[in-house]
Amino acid sequence: MLRFFTRRGISMVFVLFSLTFLTFMIGHLAPGDPILVLMGPRQDTETYAHLRHLYGLDQPLLTQYINYVALLVRGDFGLSFSYEGRTVRELIAQGLPISFGVGGLALLVSLIVGVPLGMFAALRDGTLADRGLVALALGLYSIPSFVLIPLIWMANLAIFRAGYPNLPQAGWGTPSHIVLPVLVLAAANVGYITQLTRASMLEVLRDDYVRTARAKGLLERTVIVRHVLRNALLPLITLLGPTTAFLVTGAFVVEVLFNIPGIGRIAVEAVGRRDYPVIQGTTVILGIAVVIMNLISDLLYHVFDPRIQLTE
Amino acid sequence: MRSTIGVLGLLAVLMLAACGTPAGGPATSATAAPAATTALAPATAMPSPVGGNAPADTLRWSLEGVSDLSSIDPAKPGDAPTITAINLIFAGLIRLDEKLEVQPDGASGWQVSADGTTYSFTIRDGLAFADGTPVTAGDFVYAINRALAPETASYGAPFQLGHIIGAQDVVDGKAKQASGVRAVDDKTLEIKLDGPLAYFLSQLSYPFTFVVPKKLVDSGVKWEEQSYGTGPYRVKEWKHGQALTLIANEKYWRGKPGIPNITLVFNKDSETAYQLYQTGELDIMGSQQNPVPAAHIAELQSLPDFKSAASLATRFIGFNNLKPPFDNVDVRRAFALAVDKKALSDQVLAGQVVAADRILPAGLLGTQLPISGLALDPAAAKAALAQAGFADGKGLPEITLAYGQEGDNETVAQAIQSMWEQNLGVKVKLQSFELATFSKNLDTTFKTPAQGLQFWLSIWGADYPDPQNFLSQQLHSDTANNNGHFADPQFDKLVDEADRLGDRAQIERRLQLYNQAEQIAIDKVGWLPLYYPKFNILLRPRVSGLAVTPNGLVAPDWTKVTLK
Repeated sequence: MLRFFTRRGISMVFVLFSLTFLTFMIGHLAPGDPILVLMGPRQDTETYAHLRHLYGLDQPLLTQYINYVALLVRGDFGLSFSYEGRTVRELIAQGLPISFGVGGLALLVSLIVGVPLGMFAALRDGTLADRGLVALALGLYSIPSFVLIPLIWMANLAIFRAGYPNLPQAGWGTPSHIVLPVLVLAAANVGYITQLTRASMLEVLRDDYVRTARAKGLLERTVIVRHVLRNALLPLITLLGPTTAFLVTGAFVVEVLFNIPGIGRIAVEAVGRRDYPVIQGTTVILGIAVVIMNLISDLLYHVFDPRIQLTE
Repeated sequence: MRSTIGVLGLLAVLMLAACGTPAGGPATSATAAPAATTALAPATAMPSPVGGNAPADTLRWSLEGVSDLSSIDPAKPGDAPTITAINLIFAGLIRLDEKLEVQPDGASGWQVSADGTTYSFTIRDGLAFADGTPVTAGDFVYAINRALAPETASYGAPFQLGHIIGAQDVVDGKAKQASGVRAVDDKTLEIKLDGPLAYFLSQLSYPFTFVVPKKLVDSGVKWEEQSYGTGPYRVKEWKHGQALTLIANEKYWRGKPGIPNITLVFNKDSETAYQLYQTGELDIMGSQQNPVPAAHIAELQSLPDFKSAASLATRFIGFNNLKPPFDNVDVRRAFALAVDKKALSDQVLAGQVVAADRILPAGLLGTQLPISGLALDPAAAKAALAQAGFADGKGLPEITLAYGQEGDNETVAQAIQSMWEQNLGVKVKLQSFELATFSKNLDTTFKTPAQGLQFWLSIWGADYPDPQNFLSQQLHSDTANNNGHFADPQFDKLVDEADRLGDRAQIERRLQLYNQAEQIAIDKVGWLPLYYPKFNILLRPRVSGLAVTPNGLVAPDWTKVTLK
């Protein structure tokens, strides 16, 4: 166990280090210039040079990177280029809980809806209900959020115009503001989880021990809950890491269109403005989140199926 | 292994966004015009809801295109939303009225010396900051020096205020105070310029010289969070990433503003703002930079909420005068003569813009004098191309028009591309850039023309309403805004003289000079002006007292702006 954590710890450090390096280099080498974005269309060579110096952008790239990492290991993410006097840490601290709250709720909703749907479909394999559910899941999975959101807006606006109580179209601050974003984020995930649960159930249903359990004369419900479901849900744990990344990338669009002050919208805006410290900071934080979720999913895997060793 | 994949996925998203691939992935579609703006088909034209839940004491004003303000420091007005906020909180000596003419604000009056270089402003009696502290001439001295100081890191003040004597010394860190800015006494501010400057008063309406309380600025890093000045409102709460809430400044010199509270709501995407307006959660949406989404205009046009005005901006094509083939004036003329601007404005853009035959946008000072523009003339265009030695386009290098991904740029670029092919027989390639990349390319074009763009679609909007802001600042051979290095000695001579004619009595002559200069820039195709954009906003009828001007929404008098 200790060996596992040591190994994973080392590999985590390596992954995060590579992440900072790649993000830094890709960001700085991508065309565009944060100072030009700040100055807008007005050009003034002298002011430009002064600002570049002030922001440390006139130093060699490698020096800039070393300075950045030196601060980073002390937990200092630097100052935002585009938001006057605000630290990256402050921006992340503001956005992260919001994004994780929305993303976490979306994950919960998609599990609560997706798992029973997948089970239901698997148990009625081949029927009309099964095919309908499979089609629905596929549809939900493939519809991009920037198409789904306008559709939801149209429906919500129609409700408002008809004089019924409606949900806020966008914004943040009250519980009612959370509903639409969570629905949109959960929608695609529901499709995915339904499919996965169904496939996994079908596989387990064909296993010998299920036949044995039935042959023992166990109640069908006991067979499904004790033998099938426990084993069929194991692959869902693997999903935890990728789903985190999925929810975060999905949040880019959802947070922008629904006006949610989360980390996804901060990252999108930072990319547009070439706000390097914010781009790097948000990427590192999201990278850490994905790495941690993967670690948790590995541990859970071990807990649910002790045959799987952690020494890998 | 799996963790590596997850992390790589994140990186891929970042790369996609950073490179601005035109594929329109989620990240890019969010920064540029999102698919959502076109995906929404209006159901039916509905009257705007009266909004039973609308608060009677709060004006809800949407600022689009940003998810937060970068700053509300008058020394750092970045984009249009920032300037809107700054103008509500701070004020200076001069303001622009709804006719875009200069009016006294913090100064009750001023006198200009006979040689036009020394301005004496009388500070208004009873002028005070929102906390009640009286404002003296010394406060303005502080504000101007602060805007220039290198540690303030202003983006534009050193450039705009460069004609004040001693300003450069402050910019260079050689002096703390510009020698040309002096408080003669508490009531008199004197500003000395290095020569007469016709547009100087106009420039003072731009935030750089707005008075800021030293006490507040010195109080700490986060002073902006509770900032106040001499404007009609002051900051109550800045909810980062959501809204800036303002309350009326009880000490405003004109009296108590008519609306107790203003909430400036940030909406990164205009479509979001539109949805919030439709459900009664906003009173104002849209601006020059981020108008009401075009897809909704048909549905909205008949509403009393819908307001439209030409903006003080010109969309144009700029040329790299130091790189073939546009180093040749005949080639530039040929391309200019082959563009059908009328078809572009009326058909391609469905009348949402006004075709341009000159550089100065309609309504700007100086446009009362006529210019003869380059109208569509395919025969003359072909002749000009032949004259340049490229008859029928033979011998021309590969030509690429560059543009930034925003608004209607793609549609416009494609339309002009086909006009050139049809009227000139020249095939032009198009290259689009994500905005920050586009500005970097313009900078490269300016600094190393040989490696720069050949020509590009761009836009310029007035910082202050004066011909100088368009002609001298864009096309003079030694201005840093002249990305394409257009150079004409006669043009330079004319605008140099006009810029210095500060006396009101010389206005006729001044505008004559600009007019001659503009004609040169048209004939020699310094710019190829295409159209003046209109901007559409939604303004709820319950708001009264605001005027829609080419410079955006202007309140002639905040004490008379009210909510029904």
